[in-house]
Amino acid sequence: MTTRWLKYLAVLLSLAMLAAACGSDGTTDAGGGDSGSSGDSEAEAEEPAEEEVVAAGTEAEGDVDTEVAEIEETSVYGGDLVVGLEAEATGLRPWEDSCSSPCLNMMVAVFDKLVEFRADGTYGGWLAESFESNDDFTEWTFKLREGVTFHNGVPFNAQSVADMFPIHQAGSQSAGIVGSAKILSVTAADEYTVVYTLGAPHSAFPAFVERAQIGFMFEPGEAAANPDGFSAAPIGTGPFMVETRDLDNETIMVRNPNYWMSDGDGNQLPYLDSISFRPIPDEGTRLDSLLSGTINAMQTLRQGTIRDTRDANDGDLTLFEFQGNNVGGGMFNSSTPPFDDVRVRRGLTMMNNQEAVIESLGGTGISLPGTQWFSPDSVWYSEKVAAAWPPFDYEGGQAVLSEYINDAARSDGKAVGEPIEFELSCPPDPTLIAAMQVLEQLWSSSGLATVNLTNYDQQTHIDYALGAPPDFEGEHGAHCWRWSSDQDPSTELNRQFAPDTPATAIANGLGEAGAEGTPLFTPTNFFNYYDHELFGNLAAAIQTDSFDERYALYEAVMLKVAEDVPLWYSGHTATLIATQANVVGLSGWTLPDGSLGVGHPAAEGRWGQVFIQQ
Amino acid sequence: MSTTDPSVQELELTDETPAAPRKMSRQSPKPRRTAKAAKRPGKKMPITAKLALFWLSLVVFGAIYAKFDNLLGQRLPLQDPRYQGNLFGTASRTETPSTAHFLGTDVLSRDSFARLVHGGWVSLIVAMSAVTFGVVFGGLIGTFAGYVKGRTERVIMALIDVILAFPALVLLLAMVSIFQVRSLTVISLVIGLLAIPAYTRIARANTLALANREFVHAAQAIGTKRFTIMFREIFPNVLPTLLAYALVNAAAIIVIEGTLSFLGLSVQLPEPTWGNMINEGRSEIRQTILPVLWPSLALTLTVLSLNQVGDWLQGRAEVRSAAL
Repeated sequence: MTTRWLKYLAVLLSLAMLAAACGSDGTTDAGGGDSGSSGDSEAEAEEPAEEEVVAAGTEAEGDVDTEVAEIEETSVYGGDLVVGLEAEATGLRPWEDSCSSPCLNMMVAVFDKLVEFRADGTYGGWLAESFESNDDFTEWTFKLREGVTFHNGVPFNAQSVADMFPIHQAGSQSAGIVGSAKILSVTAADEYTVVYTLGAPHSAFPAFVERAQIGFMFEPGEAAANPDGFSAAPIGTGPFMVETRDLDNETIMVRNPNYWMSDGDGNQLPYLDSISFRPIPDEGTRLDSLLSGTINAMQTLRQGTIRDTRDANDGDLTLFEFQGNNVGGGMFNSSTPPFDDVRVRRGLTMMNNQEAVIESLGGTGISLPGTQWFSPDSVWYSEKVAAAWPPFDYEGGQAVLSEYINDAARSDGKAVGEPIEFELSCPPDPTLIAAMQVLEQLWSSSGLATVNLTNYDQQTHIDYALGAPPDFEGEHGAHCWRWSSDQDPSTELNRQFAPDTPATAIANGLGEAGAEGTPLFTPTNFFNYYDHELFGNLAAAIQTDSFDERYALYEAVMLKVAEDVPLWYSGHTATLIATQANVVGLSGWTLPDGSLGVGHPAAEGRWGQVFIQQ
Repeated sequence: MSTTDPSVQELELTDETPAAPRKMSRQSPKPRRTAKAAKRPGKKMPITAKLALFWLSLVVFGAIYAKFDNLLGQRLPLQDPRYQGNLFGTASRTETPSTAHFLGTDVLSRDSFARLVHGGWVSLIVAMSAVTFGVVFGGLIGTFAGYVKGRTERVIMALIDVILAFPALVLLLAMVSIFQVRSLTVISLVIGLLAIPAYTRIARANTLALANREFVHAAQAIGTKRFTIMFREIFPNVLPTLLAYALVNAAAIIVIEGTLSFLGLSVQLPEPTWGNMINEGRSEIRQTILPVLWPSLALTLTVLSLNQVGDWLQGRAEVRSAAL
């Protein structure tokens, strides 16, 4: 009997060893020899069918268009609004807590900014009645609105703004913005005049004070005295005040009875009695909550959810959609072979079927293929750049990549004719995973590339791209990423296309080794790509306030990016705030001067002028 | 004795039924029931366990079929689980079942049947490897602790208790995160390591009972070495209980692997697993439930089957213990 059981055990052990021997190593073999790969030579030899690709810059049927219009309905006071967010805000301190779209929905209810973004792409005064710069854009003066108080009754004035500056300089989120904008000092010229002095000219400086990190005006006395407590009980000048904050469950905000702003008819804002924010991370659950009436509004940045919301809408919902500049895609680490050769980057980009990637994200008919950092709805969008971006051409891409592979001097040291090999990494989000697998299949099927897929959590993913001091080169290969925003182009482009290492900066005359002035380089040049002429155009664009001049410079920048392709695009990120049909005012809010606001970019709602119709 | 009486015939065929009850059965109004009750419990396999074995055989056959299809470099009529037909104009996303695709296609237009069969391989290997790891190492450690007793036992069991007290999933996530390479071997080893404590406890408890049995005392009396007693007398008698538990545990491990896959922490994509099939399908669940339904059904049936067979084996192991 004993022997029999020992035999069973032996068999079990043998099977386990066999299993371990047969176990996949988790890598992907472009040749199709390993587990999971087909070896389907027919399929691999076959190239993707030419699909009808929406020409760059043209409108796809049913795509999200960004439209804002003035509110025509008669406003009504009262009501409690419940908003479902895709995530919880870890904290509500603008200078300290990392804050993306869900969190900004909450912050904008509590805090006001000095300036706001208009629908026409310009900036207008909000807490500032007016603003102007000196001739060389190194000094910006903001004339503040009188009679504004913080939620705790402390008056808001120029000294408040000046007192925020030391906190901004030390804040983990704001310090980088202070550095990017090169703010040397913030001083109160008189009770309602504040002056920002910059270390270098910046014609688009108001864009920085429109951003959350240094834009949201908080009560500096309370923030300095109790920074930890401030996170849960923030004090701003905004239309709502935090009443209760139950983390990961619900944050309830009530109407600020002393809010300074009125609508065009002189009615004091806000209209709502209260607004509650509930984090509901699961996309389907959030939509179901809206459809069942558990919540009155929800936000999403997922194309699939926009599609599902459209499908589920029987007229009971209002869909506030937005086609922003934010564009998905990825980057090639240009400092690492084989991506240090433009033929590789270009070949892979040409083999990227953007429509298929967008389809995998559920965005067909919703998102437009990206060709630049600006969506067709943006004032900065360029048809010339759209035409210059490498179009989907599978055979053409293979030909370009083959040139590199068959080059005896290829940079990756492999033998002539051997496929390139690289890592393609994305965070483990289901939609990103789908998009990543489409790219992997396209690139691998060419027989010219061995693509190893990896997924790391968001922070590790960022850390791999960031790298370590002193050069911050990163350890990534092909890396999923998002580009651009709806802010002024300078806020993103200047810090991402500056020299990637101190050595690059020194070599291009932008600093000296050991000199007092640190070489001008940026750790956030994630693709490790630098072009001196391109950077010169970016520097020139913040020394003029002429839109036409700036447009031409940014167009030149984007044309160079299209030529050297350090990155690739999938589609522009359409976003949505869906509300019950009786919720009004999200898209038609206005600035104090009566001009039309930007609407709801990146699913960030401005809730101060929202009301619920009876 | 009437030879036409079926109850009598059955009694006569029951080898373990003594002669005396035969008379009693003649007097019993329900002799058949009495005869059944006299049988050893768990000897006959119930229909549910048979069905379960049938399903498990299908899964095992399918998984081996899928694996060897690739290993041998031959194209058996099973499609490539990674092939995205929509990129090549041969399929659409989330197709419904058809002759071309028995179970339809998933969100990336890949054949769901092929992915299901390939996914079974991962579940099977992880479960088998982890269980083997647990039986061998957990069994030996537990047997050792239960037999030597004293301070050694206390130290071993304290360590085991510490591991058991830690939330298993959290520990698992931490360990998987440490190993940046997520191969099938690594996942199997990590889950196997975490399976050891349960087997250790079972083995120790059984050893404590067995150590006082006559055959062990007899072995000690004739001067058999301690390790020989452990390996030749005790461990073989602990093993049936461990193996019966292993089947039930395999079901749990398949669910754990599914959970890891769902969280994107199991084997690296694009290798299909049932867990990552569910994860990938859920983003499109409002459009079609099929890509989620198939792996969920496979997972449910496999876990249920393992439990059925495990229960039956456990019954048999109990009978064996009682016989000892």
